[in-house]
Parts: sequence; structure tokens; C-alpha cells
Amino acid sequence: MSGSTINAKIRTSGHRPWIREHAVSFAFLAPAAIWLLFIVIYPTIDTVRLSLFNESATKFLGLTNYKTVFSTDTILTAFRNNVIWVLIFPFFVTTIGLIFAVLTERIRWATAFKALIVMPIVFSTTASALVWATMLDNSPQIGAVNAAVLTVSDWFNPPGAYPVSATAGQTVANLVGSNAHAEKNSSIVSNSSARAGGMIDIGLEDVSPTTLALLKAQDAVKPQPMSGAITGVVWRAFSPSDPTNKTDILPAELGLPILRLSLVNPQGVSVATTTTTTSGQYKFSNVGTGSYFVELVGSNFSSGFTGISWLGGSSLTPVSGLGQTAQALLSVPLADMAMIITYLWIWAGFAMVLIGAGLASLNREVLEAARIDGAKEWQVFRRVTVPMLAPVLAVVFVTMIINVLKVFDIVLNMASGSSINATPTLAVEIYNDGFTGGVHSGVSSAIAVILFLLVLPAMIMNLKRIKGV
Amino acid sequence: MTTTAQTSDPTKRRHLLRRMLPARGPSNLVLGIIAIVWLVPTVSLLVISLRPEADFGVSGWWKALLDPASLTFSNYRVLFDQGFVAGGLLDSLMTSIEITVPATLLVVFFACFAGHSLVFGKWRGRDVVFLTVVGLMVVPVQVALIPVVQFYHELGNLFGLNPYGTIPGVIIFHVAFGLPFGIFLMRNFMSGIPMDLLEAARMEGAGEWKVFYRIVLPLALPALASLAIFQFIWVWNDLLVALVFLGGNAHTPLTVFLYDQNHELQANYWIISTGAIVSVIVPLIVFFSFQRYFVRGVLAGAVK
Amino acid sequence: MASVVLRNLTKQYSGNNAPSLEMLNLEIADGEFVCLVGPSGCGKTTALRMIAGLEDVTSGEIEIGGRIVNNLPSRDRDIALVFQSYALYPHLTVADNMSFGLKLRKVPKAEIEEAVQSAAKILDLVDLLKRKPAQLSGGQRQRVALGRALVRDPAVFLMDEPLSNLDAKLRVQTRAEIAQLHHRLQATMLYVTHDQVEAMTMADRIAVLNLGVLEQYGTPRELYNFPNNQFVAGFIGSPSMNFVSMRINRDVERVYLTGMSADSNIKVTLTDEQSDILRKSDCSDIVVGVRPEHLIEESIDHAGFSAVAEVEVIEFLGNDEHIHATSDDTDLVAILNAHSSVARGDSITLSAPHDTVHFFHPTSGLRLN
Repeated sequence: MSGSTINAKIRTSGHRPWIREHAVSFAFLAPAAIWLLFIVIYPTIDTVRLSLFNESATKFLGLTNYKTVFSTDTILTAFRNNVIWVLIFPFFVTTIGLIFAVLTERIRWATAFKALIVMPIVFSTTASALVWATMLDNSPQIGAVNAAVLTVSDWFNPPGAYPVSATAGQTVANLVGSNAHAEKNSSIVSNSSARAGGMIDIGLEDVSPTTLALLKAQDAVKPQPMSGAITGVVWRAFSPSDPTNKTDILPAELGLPILRLSLVNPQGVSVATTTTTTSGQYKFSNVGTGSYFVELVGSNFSSGFTGISWLGGSSLTPVSGLGQTAQALLSVPLADMAMIITYLWIWAGFAMVLIGAGLASLNREVLEAARIDGAKEWQVFRRVTVPMLAPVLAVVFVTMIINVLKVFDIVLNMASGSSINATPTLAVEIYNDGFTGGVHSGVSSAIAVILFLLVLPAMIMNLKRIKGV
Repeated sequence: MTTTAQTSDPTKRRHLLRRMLPARGPSNLVLGIIAIVWLVPTVSLLVISLRPEADFGVSGWWKALLDPASLTFSNYRVLFDQGFVAGGLLDSLMTSIEITVPATLLVVFFACFAGHSLVFGKWRGRDVVFLTVVGLMVVPVQVALIPVVQFYHELGNLFGLNPYGTIPGVIIFHVAFGLPFGIFLMRNFMSGIPMDLLEAARMEGAGEWKVFYRIVLPLALPALASLAIFQFIWVWNDLLVALVFLGGNAHTPLTVFLYDQNHELQANYWIISTGAIVSVIVPLIVFFSFQRYFVRGVLAGAVK
Repeated sequence: MASVVLRNLTKQYSGNNAPSLEMLNLEIADGEFVCLVGPSGCGKTTALRMIAGLEDVTSGEIEIGGRIVNNLPSRDRDIALVFQSYALYPHLTVADNMSFGLKLRKVPKAEIEEAVQSAAKILDLVDLLKRKPAQLSGGQRQRVALGRALVRDPAVFLMDEPLSNLDAKLRVQTRAEIAQLHHRLQATMLYVTHDQVEAMTMADRIAVLNLGVLEQYGTPRELYNFPNNQFVAGFIGSPSMNFVSMRINRDVERVYLTGMSADSNIKVTLTDEQSDILRKSDCSDIVVGVRPEHLIEESIDHAGFSAVAEVEVIEFLGNDEHIHATSDDTDLVAILNAHSSVARGDSITLSAPHDTVHFFHPTSGLRLN
């Protein structure tokens, strides 16, 4: 600071009039100042005025617009969505950023990894939203996520040979032709029972001929009874020559191959399993005493997992038994989650870079001190690293709250069909109310003022932080 | 040397492995998987843009990875062959450039001047002005949209020059909302320039202007680069400001092009994916060429 | 309390040609205060960090209290380390900093409390227990770092240049406090420093390292009076020992030294014993060493070393003054009584008795007498 006092002396000694030096300084500031004054500061204040007027700004309304804001369903939905975003996104992005930052410390290709993770930040949110809309598409021929989910779920829960699609309005009961009934667990159980040496035949209908052609089904043939065994045939009980006869096996009616069968006792306990042949025949050998039913197990008719409708209108509704409005306000649209996932993809790199820089500037000796003090790696992380990173984590967290309060592009580009009404945020509502079909200032300005108030605490935190520096 | 003999001792090596594995092995694996997951969306976009239009929706894009020969530039050719028609891809690319370049240059210039004034000026109230600027950094653009639209119309009424619906109108708005971050960045960077350097130059008789462009500006180049990259990417990727201020203008930037294709025109995805790749390429080039400055900007300005 | 034994301890960083530490053998007795001293890059901190378990051992063995600890993590070695940067936990209070290790070890609360209180009393930290490190001065932080080690009551105290971030006055004061602490605890302490004064004032024994190799291990007196080689001779003592190269002449009846130039101003006379040694040596040149504090400003009869030199700089230090003088283009430093009337530009005679003159081999640097 001694330099500036020297300078002050030069100025006051009159070699150069000090007013001229200030003039240069002000001239340097002027373009920015004028710009900010006219396009940022004045409009912000004017928005407050407009929020008290009607939509064409001709009539003073007082707080009417604010009342409208808090009594309009779509705007309340927008509030709810902002709350969802603020509650979920900053936490997850900070956590993911922390995990990435810690993991990258231990690998050799950290630079490449970081570049890869940071890359989405430079994409427009519009492009990212459209990419992810495709990634999350319902159709497994378009959406990679659902295709992957399907592949995995088919491993654990493979679709049966005779899938019944609930989404197409089908039920297992539709399949029952003769001598059987559908159970609650989507299985079909014979009406008749048999003892060893007896027979049970089951007729099904509504089975697609294409499926049977694929399975190379042959004409149904009733097998011979065998001592000590229960035998029978499961067939497609439909013949164009006699459409109403479901009980007899008519010529050219096909057997149903590779059906998984289970022999169940009257208590409903399965005692043996088998599979039908290409002509629909089956045989349970060495049957014990007592009578048994035959069950076509539910997995035959499972259509498998059909994928997640990420961007449809479905919601995660946590509580039941509430009023309709409360229910709506407490539910989380699945599309919100899809957008949050997309946003995580975009912003994780930002969190990682900031937290990574924080990690790099930590005094390594403190971590070593903790190790010597007896801490295991996890304890070092939990009790020393994370607390020491707290200021950086807070910066990331607050920055992301501000960011998410203004979330706009992603919603506008990802929401479609039924999710359009479920996912708007305040920023989207400001745009929809203010700029669709001409400019309407009143309610839109009121929401803008509220948005500004929501950002205000973050602004004050920033000011405190920077003033403290 | 004795040391090499010692490390090849098998027990020693096992010990080394044990200490490395829990830390490095899983980290590499986990990060490898994460890296792939992170890359998938971008790859999908690229692949879809390179697949024949008719394949979309018939089979997943990942099928094309097994058959790279099926990839073609036909989508690009079709869109480029349209030339610079209003609402076309090339026209949107041009419009994006027309908006982004001036909006970036103006912010960089003004922020440099303002930063200099705030750091090296001697007038009272500099701190108050700076804190105001910091406060303005988080002001949502939404707060200013309607009044600025009206302000533009007012300019039209008064001077016959209404920026609403024009590219300058979009630029003016972008400059205003880029300035707080720009000034913040420049001011913080410049306050790290040793005062002695300026004092020395002043002693030798340099005026304020000379001090600025001979000493401050060259030293502030890294920050200037960070700011330019940030502002460029921010403006290039903006959707809202362009939607609002371009009104019914037939020339729209790439973001609006994509938005329109997706919403109003219900376009085939091949146009969207091809357009998205074109829109992403410019910032990607900027990012990979100036990665260091970009990261520095992220670190310096974690408040926006 | 425990002894520490290092056997052939070697550290080779991948990518470096020379090992950072080569075949270090060192025994530290139970309760002994040992200083590892040497210029920066000599491997002293590496050795310390290997003992602490913060660096992998390339080869060799570390034994603490009779137990080989090569493969034990730091937390199981029963050691405490005081870092150069103090490495205090910035988010914890002084009390929590000191009790962190005990809490991790699930020591009962009352015991922790007692340990912290007694350490705080010893180190005069009682009033600071509720403060965070950021609210402390450098000296206070240093004491907290010591306290953190003290509370743990470890088998071995390791200290990595703990005083280097303190100002000169505080350093001298803390030096005495640490020495006193060692006396009181009778704990095994290994102390790393680049400052030979610290080593000389505190240590029971000093290990001098240079370029990863142990040059000498002995008591401060041994190092000062009988340095193994020219490096140790030059490193221990301040200002450094003066070295002059001379030529050995072996006549039939006697051995005598002459200066490198014909009209030399430096004269070294030999005792019979010294003559014998030089006669047997294999070299034609020799490096003669004399400590500045052994030089006096007068010509004495039968001096071992004498030089006529021109005074260039006089550094007045109060009680005495350091004279920088040149003789035969060789710089000589002498510590003279401040009452001497020597002035810049004077030509003076500096001499030293026979028993203070050392001879070093010109290539291996080993001391010959």
C-alpha cells in the first residue's frame, strides 16, 4: 500500500490534475455501467412494478397477480417441481462430484477422464436434453436405457413362450378354453384332478398362430394313460371347422409346446414339474398317492419387463389417502427424475473440477497426520478430508441451487405429451405466461419477482463470502 | 543395483501389489465404467446422425456399431445442400456465429476496462460497485425479459431503431448479462497484478491508457481467454434469450433451430441429431483447444 | 518407549536413477534423541516418512521396539509425527486436534480428558483448548502439534523440521523446550532438520546424510572434533570449516606441504605423527581444514597453520566478528574477538595450532588424521 501513498503524493503535488485521472477511470467503467444499468438493474426494478399491474401494464392491481400465482394449479406445480429440483439435484451433483474427484486422484488417466466428464458442460442444454430424450425413449429400438434395462431384466425375468401383454389389455383368464381357470398369480390350473394313472387335458384359446409357428407346434395328440403317471395334453382349443367346441381335441388343432407345467396337490403345493412336447403332451412319472391338479405356471405368460416410461406422465406418488391437490403436490413426476439425471450428466464435471481443485489444495500432511493418529482410509475421508473440503462443497452446493432455481432449457426440450403439464418450473412458467401469444407482463412478472427472491439468499451468501476474502 | 534385486523378491512384490490393488484396481475399473456411461449419449447422437434416416426407430443405434459400413454422411449432405435458406441448418449456424462473436467480444472489452477501473482506479466507492456486480451475477435473466422487451419498443418509438426481433437485440441482452461475471473475473484476476508494476510505469510517465494496454492487458490475457471462452459457450448455448428477443425473426440460432424441429415441426430425429452435432462441434473445438482456460474459468467463477 | 533399528533401508523412486536413500543402517536406543541432518534432498525426510509408514520401503528393514514394521500401516506402528506444516486439523478445536487419535482408538473419555489436560499444561495450551488452528499464532500451532503427539504417548516421536516455520527467536526458545521435553519424557525421538545448530544443541547422537548416504553417526562432540570426512567437517560448525588445497612433498628425511602457487602465503607445518600419515597416503595433494573459531590473529611459533591474508569483509556480531579474508585466492573465515583492531584492507596473519588442523583426502574426502 506504500505504493499508493506515493502515488497520492504525486497527484496532490499537482503534476497531473487528479480529476483527469479519475475521469479516465470512470470512462473505463462507463460502458459496462451503462449496460448494466439499462439492461439489468433498471429492468429488475421495473419487473417489480409490472408485477403489480395487469398484463398489458395499464392498470394497477396491487397484489392480485401474486394471489393468482398461488392459486393457479400449473404455477403451483411449477413451485413443486422447483422444490423437487432443489432438494434432489444439488445434493446428488455434489456427491457425485466428490466421488469422481476422489477416484480420479488415484488413476493415471485422470486428465482424459476429467475432460470426458466435463465435456457435456459445453454442449447446449437443448442438445443434451434432446440426446437424453432419445436415450430414455420407451421403445427398445430407440432408447438405449430401456434397451439395456430390458436386456438385464430378461436375464432375471425372461418373458414366457406365451406372453400376455397387460398394456394391451390382455389377461391370463382370456386364455382359458376348457377344463381350467386362471389364478391370481397369473397361472392357469386345471379344473379336474387325477390320481396316478389318470389324465388331465387343458384347452387354451387366443394363442397367436405366429407364436405356435415359431415354436414348430404339431397337431395335438392325446397320449395313452400310463400306470404310476399322470399324462395329458395341452392344446389350442380352436378349430375353424367347429369354433364353439372347446372341450374336444379336433383334427388340425395344435398342441402347445414348451409350456412349463407343475403338478400341485390340493393344498396348492407343487410336487413335480415338467414341460410339454411339440405336440402338447406331458407326463409326470412316479406320482405318489392322492389326487393332483396340473398348473400352467405363470412364467409361461410373463411378458417380461416392458421398460420405463421415463418421459411419460407417470409419477412417483409417495402417500395415498390425501386430497387430490395434496396428492398432486407431493408426487414426483418420473419425467422430473429423467431431467435431473440428464442434468447430472451435464453438471457432474463442474462439481468434480471444483472439488478436485479443493482436494489438490488440501495439505496432504494433515491427511497423513490422521493416518498416523490411527485413522483408517474411510475415517480419514469422513473425518478429515470431507470437513476440510466443506467450504468447496458449500460453493458447489449453493451454485447448483442457483442454477437449478433457473432451470429452463431442459424442461422445455425434454417434456413432451403428458409430461408437459407435470414438469414446468418457475422459469418455464415465466416464459409460458409472459411470452406465448404476445407479451403479458402481470403474472409472469410476479413469478419473476418470486424467483428473484428465491435467489436472493444465495446472492447474500456470495456477497458475504467475497467480502470476507 | 541392489534395489532391483530386492524388488524382484516375490514376497516384496506381493506386498507391493496388496498395497496398490485396493486403491488403484477398483478405481480404474469403476472410472472406466463411468467414462463409458458418460460417453454413451454423445456417441449415440453421433451415430444416429450418421445412420440412414430409415433405420431410426427400426433398430437401436448401437446396432450400427457392429456394422460401421452402414454409416453415411447423407443426413449432413441433405441439410447442407439446402444452403442458407432461412430456418435451415446452415442459416442457423451463421446466425449463431453472428450473435455469439459480437456478444463475446463486447463483454471481453467492457469487462477488461471495468476491471481495470475497479482495481487500479483510485476513486471512492469501488468496493460498493464491485459488490453490486457480484450481486448481479446471480440475477436470473427471467427477471429482466419483459422490461427489456418494452425498453426495446420504447427505443423504436423514440429513435425508430427497435432492436426487438433483431440480432443486435439479442446481442445487447447477452452483453448485459455476461458483464457481471466478466467484471468479477477480470477484477479478481487483475487484483493479483502487483501494484508495483503499475507504479513503475506511472513513474516513467505512462498515462492510464498506456498503463492499461501496455501492462495490465498483456498480463490479464489468461483471464481474458477464460472469460472469452465462457461467454462464447454461454451465448452459443442460450435458448431462452433468443426465443424471447428474436420474436418472429426467420433467422434463428442453432438452439432455436433444434427446439423448433423438436416441438413445432415434430421433425424426424435425423434432423435433430445432425443439427445437434453441428451445434455441439463449435463449443467442443473451443473446449478442447482451450481446456486449461476453461477449467480456470470454472474455478474462478463458481458463483454464476 | 522403544528402540528403532534401520537395516539397509533403501528408497528408490521409480523414474529416478539414484536411490533417494541408500542402505541406511541406524540404531536408535530406547529413550535416545537422534537428529537426522543434511542438506535438502539428502534423504532425511524420506527416511523419516518410511519409518512413519507414509512411504513404501524399497528394500531393507525397519524395526520399532523389536518388531519389524515394514508392512504395518502407520496407525499400527505406535508412532507420532510432528509435521513441518504442523498439519493440524483445521476444522477441529485444539482439544479435538489433540484427542483425535485417542478417540479413534476408543480410549475412555475420562482418560482422553486427562491426557489432553496434562499435555496442555506441559505445553501451556490450557487457555487455547477451545480455539481453532486458524486463530492461533505459529508458535502456538507448533505447540499444539507437539501436544497432539504427546497425548498419544507413542513409542517413538518423529519430528520433521518442526521449527522451520518459526521465526528465529521463537525457534531458539522452542528448541530448548523440545530438549527439555525429551529430558522429561525420556522418550525415543527422531528429529529431522537441515539446521546443524538444531542438531548440535538437541541431539544425543546425530546422523549426517548426504545424497542418500549416511556420512557419519555419532555424538555432537565426535562429529565436531573427529569428522569422518570433508562433508561432515564442512557441514557441522558455523561458519563452515576453511579448506585449503596443498601439495605434499615427500623428501627422504621429511614430509612437508607447500601451497599450490610458488609464492604461497599459506604455510602448514606438520607434527611427526602427521608426517607419517601423509607419507603413507597415496595422494600428491591434500585438503587442509581449519575451523574459523580456531584461527587467531597473530603469528605464533610452531603454528600448525598460518596464512597471511587480506581482509575483505568484517561482520560485526557484538562479542566477536567474522573476518572474511583472502590468501592465495583462497577465502578464509576467522572468528576474532570484537576488540581486535582489524580493518578492511589490512594484511593480517591468521594462525592455528597443530591439533586443530585436519587433513582430508582430495578425492574421497576422508579425514586422514
